Amino acid sequence: MSVKEIETKKFVKNKFSEYYREHSSSIQPPTLIEKREFGFLMFKGRIMVRHKSFKNVDDLSKNLKTLVPSDAYYSSAYYERPEEKMEEKSWLGADLIFDIDADHIPTPCAKIHDTWVCNNCNIAGKGVLPEKCPACGEPRFNEKTWPCEVCLESAKIETLKLMDMLKQDFGFSSKETNLYFSGHRGYHLHVESEEVQSLDSMARKEIVDYIIGIGLETKLHGLVEERGARKARVLTGPNLEDPGWSGRIARGTYEFLLTATPSDLEEIRLKRKVIDTLTQHKETNLEKWKEKGPWGIIKGVDTASWRKIAQHGAEMQSAKIDTVVTTDTHRLIRLNNTLHGKTGLKKIEVPVTGFESFDPFKSAIAFKEGTLKIIVQDAPKFRLGDQTYGPYKNRQVELPTAAALLLLCKGRAKVKEEK
Amino acid sequence: MAKYPFTNEATEYAKELELKIEDISEPILNRAEHRIEEALLDAPVREQLVKEDVEISSFPVAVMMVASTADKLMKRRYALTEAKRAFNLLKEEKRDKILEVKNVFNWKIRPVDDKPPYKFALFFTDYLKNATRIQAKKWKLVNRIVLNGEVYLPKYDTVRLLQEEVRVHIEKKLDVKEKIALPQNVADRVERLKQAFTKQKGKIELEGFPKEVVISAFPPCIKHMYDGITSGHHLSHIGRFTLTAFLTNISMTTEEVVNLYRSLSDFKERLTRYQVEHIAGARGSRTKYIPPRCDTLRTHGVCTGMDEVCRSIRHPLAYYREKMRTIKVKAQ
Ligand code: SF4
Ligand SMILES: [Zn+2]
Ligand SMILES: [Zn+2]
Repeated sequence: MSVKEIETKKFVKNKFSEYYREHSSSIQPPTLIEKREFGFLMFKGRIMVRHKSFKNVDDLSKNLKTLVPSDAYYSSAYYERPEEKMEEKSWLGADLIFDIDADHIPTPCAKIHDTWVCNNCNIAGKGVLPEKCPACGEPRFNEKTWPCEVCLESAKIETLKLMDMLKQDFGFSSKETNLYFSGHRGYHLHVESEEVQSLDSMARKEIVDYIIGIGLETKLHGLVEERGARKARVLTGPNLEDPGWSGRIARGTYEFLLTATPSDLEEIRLKRKVIDTLTQHKETNLEKWKEKGPWGIIKGVDTASWRKIAQHGAEMQSAKIDTVVTTDTHRLIRLNNTLHGKTGLKKIEVPVTGFESFDPFKSAIAFKEGTLKIIVQDAPKFRLGDQTYGPYKNRQVELPTAAALLLLCKGRAKVKEEK
Repeated sequence: MAKYPFTNEATEYAKELELKIEDISEPILNRAEHRIEEALLDAPVREQLVKEDVEISSFPVAVMMVASTADKLMKRRYALTEAKRAFNLLKEEKRDKILEVKNVFNWKIRPVDDKPPYKFALFFTDYLKNATRIQAKKWKLVNRIVLNGEVYLPKYDTVRLLQEEVRVHIEKKLDVKEKIALPQNVADRVERLKQAFTKQKGKIELEGFPKEVVISAFPPCIKHMYDGITSGHHLSHIGRFTLTAFLTNISMTTEEVVNLYRSLSDFKERLTRYQVEHIAGARGSRTKYIPPRCDTLRTHGVCTGMDEVCRSIRHPLAYYREKMRTIKVKAQ
């Protein structure tokens, strides 16, 4: 680390310290604080201090003030003895947590603002992180992402789909579900209800598969061939207003047929002839949804093709959540109203009713006063509050504190020497 | 009640009869012994009932007898057979009777009439607790109708889930830590059953039934990966290979190893099965692979924190053998 980088880090830490001194009263403790484990990622050495526990929110705030971590977490789990080693904590249950992060959603703009460098051979690329380095095959990278509006907008869409399933299918009330902006590139949804606390990770994995639609069989949702009159085979399928995934398959299929271009249809590997038929009969096809759906009505579209269409339609209805976060019953989750070390924004609760119009780049701003002089190496155009900044390339600028901190935290800028 | 002796009512009733282990009557002991025989020795399951009080009392007696053996496999087999017995009876029952049995387990369930072919709506957590133990696509939650927290089920599937619940319920009853002191005449019967079972088991083992896998004898690296996999974490290729080769070498079946990987989000049954069979030597070259040596694992970052035993060995399988030896010595 260069001298400049160390200085920058110190500077950011000082700012965080300021925040925790002034806002300690806004720290929101998790339910049953005394049964939770806390963990803090430190600025120095990026060490994680774990197995902490607090009797009340005052102790917690005090600790934040003295420790000044880059990130603060608590366990989704409740423990008898949260301060003990993992094996001796005695697990009592855990909230059900969902994480929707832009990292898991391929967006077109990722190619513009995200970059990665292979730790092993130093080759660099743009866009979503590959599983393995295309050059040397090693799986470790240094990644630079960006909390971009377009990406967060697609995370919002996934979150809305998730919320719909949790409400309609699982029957969770709005009292049991809390929605948060993570402070970086996504949303967290916490379900706190006695009924889900004791679920083991196998059961949670089933819920994950349900949300993502993994293992979904259209056959088991009524897309089947039946022998009709004169032994002709007719295909029947689910209807738009059917409950659960049956309805979702129908609605997804409808949406897909409504919006699909011939090349979309090609992409799911339909035969040329099938594509032509579907394109020609698009209107009548969509009309059929008023009755029993278009299944089997159109000549020239065989069962196998319908399955492909339905499967793809279903895929569009699924919500792209992070699988690991939900299945891990010992997970540490970011504490509400604390700062995110990668942005200097804070994790905040989002009102479920106003979610659609929620603006993370306004509501999550933690530092509202003053300006800072920084030297930006490289930053895309971005918005914070009502202002737009950048793009910058190797430039010295004076920015409002929040915007400057964002660039410093993201490693896109350094502090200017203070005289 | 006699049909479903695991229910609370039946337990209460047995208590009322004040069963004292010393003076259990001959017919009850006979029936209890028979129950166990059915379970352990593949004797045909008898559904016709003996006198009601005998039938009910014979169950707790049988449970006590099996529990006293401290034999895990025996316990599992017994619980499974009792659960299957219940399943066979329940699937012929009317809906009301099924709804009565569910009370025992505090299931949140209600009858459904307006959505054929569905007969029941079961709260999803009750569903998940049991369905995750059954393989097959239709048991995946995503392939069910889930509405407002309830899973809609036909009668057969509901009863199948009850079977799982019964099995676990009985397994818990069998899982007693304290030693059970039985009067001589009962102890003799248990001993006889045990011997017959061991003989039977020998046969089963030859037929490829797994010897017991002792997780507490896993080396740290394997334990780490094993725990990771069961909670849905992904493994590197070398990790997968090591874990699979290790498990097949300590005589886990392909089936069991495949099931282990099932919790991964990218699980592909056919592919996984192929890979496992390949490593187990059931395919192609027919060579059975063994896991890499410790130093190889170390360079690949698979070795996670050595412990005392690790220092004396160079191979994870050697660790397992060493640990098993000490476990057995302790047990004697
Ligand atoms: S020393 Fe060998 S057995 Fe022990 S943890 Fe490392 S790799 Fe595994
Ligand atoms: Zn590389
Ligand atoms: Zn973007």
